[in-house]
Amino acid sequence: MSKIGVFVCHCGENISATVDCAKVAETAGNWDGVTFSVDYKYMCSDPGQSLIKNAITEKGLTGVVVASCSPRMHEPTFRKACAEAGLNPFMCEMANLREHCSWVHEKGEATTEKAIDLVRILVEKVKYNHELTSIKVPVTKTALVIGGGIAGIQASLDIANTGHKVILIEKDPSIGGHMSQLSETFPTLDCSQCILTPRMVEVAQHPNITLYTYAELESLEGFIGNFKAKIRKKSKSIDEKLCTGCAQCTTKCPVKKIPSEFNEGLGKRTAIYVPFPQAVPNKPVIDRKNCTYYIKGKCKVCEIVCPTGAIRFDQEDQIVEVEIGAIVIATGFTVKQPDFFPEYGYGKHADVITGLQFERLASASGPTLGEIRRPSDGKVPEKIVFLACAGSRDPAKGIPYCSKICCMYIAKHAMLYQHKVHGGKSYVFYMDIRAGGKQYEEFVRRAIEDDGVNYIRGRVSKIYEKNGKLIVSGVDTLLNAMPVEIEADMVVLATAGVANEGAEELAQKLHISYDPYKFFAEAHPKLKPVETNTAGIFLAGACQAPRDIPESVAMASGAAVKVAGLFSKDELTREPIIAVVNRQAPPVYSSCVGCFLCVSACPYQAIEKEEIKNRNGEVIKSVAKVNPGLCQGCGTCVAFCRTKSIDIQGYTHEQMYTEVMALLNEY
Amino acid sequence: MAEFEPKIVAFVCNWCTYAGADLTGTSRIKYASNVRIIRFPCTGRIDYMLLLKAFDEGADGIIVSGCHPNDCHYTSGNFHARRRWIMFRSLCNFTGIDTNRIKFSWVSAAEGAKWADIVNATVKSIRELGPYTEYKKVAKYPEKEVNHG
Amino acid sequence: MVDLIKRAKELIESSSVKVVIGYEQGTGNKTRALFVENSEDADKLIFDSRCIQNLAAYITKKEIKEKGKMAVAATLPVMRSIIQLASEFQVTDANILVLGITPESKLIEFGNLAEVEKFVHQYEIEIDVRNKEMLDKLEKMTQPERWQFWIDELAPCFKCYACRAACPMCYCSRCTVDFNQPQWIPVPSTELGNLEWHIMRAIHLTGRCIDCDACYNACPLSIPINLLTKRMLLDAKEHFGGYQPALKGEHLMSTYKPDDKENFIQ
Repeated sequence: MSKIGVFVCHCGENISATVDCAKVAETAGNWDGVTFSVDYKYMCSDPGQSLIKNAITEKGLTGVVVASCSPRMHEPTFRKACAEAGLNPFMCEMANLREHCSWVHEKGEATTEKAIDLVRILVEKVKYNHELTSIKVPVTKTALVIGGGIAGIQASLDIANTGHKVILIEKDPSIGGHMSQLSETFPTLDCSQCILTPRMVEVAQHPNITLYTYAELESLEGFIGNFKAKIRKKSKSIDEKLCTGCAQCTTKCPVKKIPSEFNEGLGKRTAIYVPFPQAVPNKPVIDRKNCTYYIKGKCKVCEIVCPTGAIRFDQEDQIVEVEIGAIVIATGFTVKQPDFFPEYGYGKHADVITGLQFERLASASGPTLGEIRRPSDGKVPEKIVFLACAGSRDPAKGIPYCSKICCMYIAKHAMLYQHKVHGGKSYVFYMDIRAGGKQYEEFVRRAIEDDGVNYIRGRVSKIYEKNGKLIVSGVDTLLNAMPVEIEADMVVLATAGVANEGAEELAQKLHISYDPYKFFAEAHPKLKPVETNTAGIFLAGACQAPRDIPESVAMASGAAVKVAGLFSKDELTREPIIAVVNRQAPPVYSSCVGCFLCVSACPYQAIEKEEIKNRNGEVIKSVAKVNPGLCQGCGTCVAFCRTKSIDIQGYTHEQMYTEVMALLNEY
Repeated sequence: MAEFEPKIVAFVCNWCTYAGADLTGTSRIKYASNVRIIRFPCTGRIDYMLLLKAFDEGADGIIVSGCHPNDCHYTSGNFHARRRWIMFRSLCNFTGIDTNRIKFSWVSAAEGAKWADIVNATVKSIRELGPYTEYKKVAKYPEKEVNHG
Repeated sequence: MVDLIKRAKELIESSSVKVVIGYEQGTGNKTRALFVENSEDADKLIFDSRCIQNLAAYITKKEIKEKGKMAVAATLPVMRSIIQLASEFQVTDANILVLGITPESKLIEFGNLAEVEKFVHQYEIEIDVRNKEMLDKLEKMTQPERWQFWIDELAPCFKCYACRAACPMCYCSRCTVDFNQPQWIPVPSTELGNLEWHIMRAIHLTGRCIDCDACYNACPLSIPINLLTKRMLLDAKEHFGGYQPALKGEHLMSTYKPDDKENFIQ
């Protein structure tokens, strides 16, 4: 027989102003199974909690219903109080009299009646509660960081420096990401490579970091603390142990005209190549799509010139399986290419380039060694136009959001241009200047005031070629939308920052959610910016939304702290609100018939096949089994199972059925 | 005669609509007191049989509500729920169960005002429809009187 | 069916299978299931237009499975059922041999279930004209009329569960109707309980029913309960593009598409 205690809270006057709390307590006291009921001013206060604890010990309560605020507020408080008095914490339920009743209804009988109903539902439910114990799962103290840009580098170093192992994977042949492509960085104008490359080297040399470049995540299984990842190490066609990085092969390779990814197509590379001189690791890979040997079966020049015999034409992709406890995703972003813009000529004008291409032109290590020369004929542009919001903030183009970094890098680009091309004229078309950030506004002002960049507030409707010039046709909205035409030598589009191709696929592999723009979704926009909805998986940098370097680094450090926090304990404790497939005595074993349709209904792949065997080891029956480590307790399988063989602890069939019955029998 | 006060049961998920209804409270938005919320972990857990049982036991209207598509705490529980609702609602309709009495909605944790609107609109429409006498008439099965405890 | 008898004999004599499931002459003008375990019994095998019982209902039965590998004389609906059952891990190539009977009454022996699947996929599941008219008629009724129609139709149901027994998809060892903690469906047959039972059954068959009408044919009162599953079949088609039983593939109701369309969620 249940002995239930009902504790009705006034919450000062928050509840008692509209609900007759004494009447609620009195009514509940008359119900079957309720041995104690009381109302009190503040149930969550120390004396309030003592009231509960004393009643548990003195009356020998088997269940507790606290009728107060939302369980989302104080469930942990009251469950803890129960546990302290020796009652299993999961024998405590809360009726939400404040948020769902007293605060939303007027004072009156109907409101008190509703309060009574809400309490009754939970009193009846708690009669069917079971004592549950929290689940403990071990933690593998190795982190996987996906993406070797600045965010991934920072996260890796921060985690590695707390003494934990890190596996960093990067899909390109070198780490460094977009930051390695940049010339100078705003708002300080320090050289990007100068601040980045020491970090890249640190990653390579750190004893706690295992670096896999030219590698991608193949699959992921498991759950927080206990993931198993398969990593595909794409074949580099070289033996990295033998290769000394002498560059004989890259110098002698006869295929020399491949557009360089690192230089955004403005420079060329060979088929066996190192993406850039400061690459980490500084060892080449063969690009099989462009290599003559792989296309025609002949060449092998690299093999002939290699002094250490490191070339391996028959090398295959390798799958490495690793066990990890946490994941930081730092896969970054990409930018829209000019062919996305019909109004700017679909990329057919060679001198209409992206901001990222401009970075390469301005970079001392770039194809023009830092001189601003236009791609078509190598001339130094005398007039240059920068367009902000190319694609961004344009719902018609499917990109309603602000790409955030463009306002700042345009100011930087214009400034760099003015520094490098004396007497040159630069124009910026913008919608608004968004320079929120430390020293950012001052930086933009410097571009305008000290370096004489012409800022025009308005949009550009089209760009076309006339007499070897690019005619940029727009309006100046600060001059009553007066039409403006600029005959430019070069145009730089601040094209929208968008999610990487394949972001969706990666999200599905990781079972994390993403927003309509395929940026990965944080668990809470304000309070959980680096967490995802999947426990143990964290976000850093521009894979979550467009981010600049300081923000990416801050996020990465934030994610690293979350990982370190997770790794600070040997075991994780989880709520036992999970699904369970019933087990019965032989010869039935379980009412599950093994149709396994629940397997695809489970969002977490937590349902496995279990073979029940007899003494001789023969399989008698195959039934579903829920992996308690993977199950997150949504109950989707529960409502789906035809035989009602799966139940979810804390929300069982009996509990939910009883709630409906209890509510309507009296209501 | 006093105005008919419908009995409305709300089946809601813990993460969005329950939290949204909490926000209605925190924002002190008033709404009709006819609704009683039953909390589920996810809309994916809401068994259609419970909806029938609610009518069975005398509910005049039902609200089923959870996270908007793509917002599910469990990524896809609401997508599964939506597919089931589509089929269940059609079957109800086909068997002559009054689907005007079942309101399906997405209410996020941020939509406190929407929750109040949903409840008020449901109470209003059920009030217009009147008590679900059609169902109640056949709901009386023999053991019900005996089975009270 | 001479071919069938001949083949059944061979299979039994060579011990390739332990039992052949087919039809024999029953009482009156009815046919019934025959379980051939020795070659003499094979002579009783018949096949004609009266053979409409879905023999796939037997293949999940413990008593049959225990005999060993079975062969089934399978019409199109039976083949569909077998594929659906295979997709639900209830039957595999190791325990079944399908002796297909085409809609033209030709015998085809399939090497494996994949071949059966290929064969059945040539034919769409289609609702016959008479039932379609009935569905349309119900569609045109008002909601209270439909309610009354079903309450009246289902009122005489005394829960003999012949529908459940005849259905190949109702192989659960514990049906929810027999579940008593809690008692989802009242034990005695009541107007509402009957409706709940048949709604529940229709939901459980959604995405799985292959429209063989075995439930209706088995009903001693000829209650048109198959209309419920037919309605679900149409809905599946309308909302999700329909389904075909498939060995591998996603089950209609245990999957979803992020862009599933509805017009009633506010």
